[in-house]
Amino acid sequence: MNLDRAYLGFYLGAVFAATLIHDPVWLACGLGLALLASGRKAMGILRQALFAVLTFNLLISLSYILMAWLQDVSPWVTLIRLNLRVLLITCLTFLFIARVNLFRALDFSPGLTFVLGLAYSQALTFRRAQDDFRLALASRSLKPPRLIDRYRASAAAAAWFIEKALHAATQSSQALRSRGFFND
Amino acid sequence: MTEIRYRPVGVDAPAVMRTIDLGHHFGGESARACEVLRDIGFTLRSGEKSVLLGCNGSGKSTLLKILNGLITPSHGRVFYQDDEINPARLKDPILHRRFRAEVALLFQNPDAMLFNPTVFDEIAFGPRQIGLPDIEARVRHWAAEVGVSAHLSRPPFGLSGGEKQKVCLAALMVLEPKVLLLDEPTAALDPRSTGWLIDFLASLPVAALISTHNLGLAPELASRALVLGENHRLIYDGPIQALLTDMEKLAAANLVHTHRHRHGDIEHRHTHVHDWQ
Ligand SMILES: Nc1ncnc2c1ncn2[C@@H]1O[C@H](COP(=O)(O)OP(=O)(O)OP(=O)(O)O)[C@@H](O)[C@H]1O
Ligand SMILES: [Mg+2]
Repeated sequence: MNLDRAYLGFYLGAVFAATLIHDPVWLACGLGLALLASGRKAMGILRQALFAVLTFNLLISLSYILMAWLQDVSPWVTLIRLNLRVLLITCLTFLFIARVNLFRALDFSPGLTFVLGLAYSQALTFRRAQDDFRLALASRSLKPPRLIDRYRASAAAAAWFIEKALHAATQSSQALRSRGFFND
Repeated sequence: MTEIRYRPVGVDAPAVMRTIDLGHHFGGESARACEVLRDIGFTLRSGEKSVLLGCNGSGKSTLLKILNGLITPSHGRVFYQDDEINPARLKDPILHRRFRAEVALLFQNPDAMLFNPTVFDEIAFGPRQIGLPDIEARVRHWAAEVGVSAHLSRPPFGLSGGEKQKVCLAALMVLEPKVLLLDEPTAALDPRSTGWLIDFLASLPVAALISTHNLGLAPELASRALVLGENHRLIYDGPIQALLTDMEKLAAANLVHTHRHRHGDIEHRHTHVHDWQ
């Protein structure tokens, strides 16, 4: 049992627990513990997690407030619970990514390692490509780009990603098939 | 091997770009940081064409992006003429506008550069930003130069890889830059288009740094070579002719390879170059 695998088990357990706990106080405790475990990286992880969930949480919260207002109930406890839970799980995930070498955590199974390799290389390729789209627009802009140009550039990037993702999915399933993952 | 035309650009030609002690690693200061460039120092002179050679992952694209002021290097400095260039410096709108108009980068993946509704708009993107006169004539001129006139009203996304690269090139050239940074411009081109690109570049009065890992093509593209080794350092900077006979350097840069040859019954192995074309 290596340390990375222990962390993986711990992470899965913690996420599962976070979905079971309903009391906002305990969720807040969990968040505090997760940040404590993050040590010096706590502020960075918290900021990263806040940014990551901002849009999602805002959208959900607003629609929930609207719903609660229409039904004339108090939304606050539910809202706090929901936001705390999403934030806690996100923090746990970022902490996990920062601490754990997934490849070592999964090294007990060659199959899982292979799947992880496929997913990881794809995520990496996409992140690099996303950087390239951003940098290319910057490189071609003599003035700060207009909104319409930013919009067009992201639309082009999105279209490119979808096309590449479809292509990559076909290839990945072929790769998996050739390794005997589907026995049909 | 091809005939080599080495015409060194005089040391008196003005320097356009200069790097001092350039180094870069991705991943910040963390333990997982990976070094991609180390101690890179060279000068590009006005009108001079150089190839940037290096194997996959040696840091060519990263170096070109740093030269284009898109990435802040972890160490060292880059100068364009007398101005230091990095993303922070380019926040100055006057420097930004001059630098972006005069130093152009062709990305390795041309898709990253294309986002306008038609090829015409794509080429007109730069000139429109600064309100150049005669945009229509400029666009048509450069479209004809690179051979995409027939596609002007089509969206760029449907073009072939080589055509996309040509559209990108026209979109850069229409601003008449002084320095061209080209990241593997021949990768998607067929032999005829490659020949065309060689003549096209030779006719341009610009300084150019052209990355490639195609050794056979290098002497056609330029007379000077910069070689990034597998150790991410600049292991050669000089005339390309001398480089091509230096098997040790080429092997260090992982630009040549060894495999068995069979000639009838005789089998032997030696290090050599392929002209992959
Ligand atoms: N955004 C990034 N984040 C982290 N690492 C990166 C990033 N971009 C490139 N790298 C790594 O830096 C190294 C150099 O990459 P670079 O793209 O500059 O190489 P290259 O010489 O252009 O290779 P190629 O011939 O394949 O185009 C590679 O190991 C690559 O994985
Ligand atoms: Mg590259």
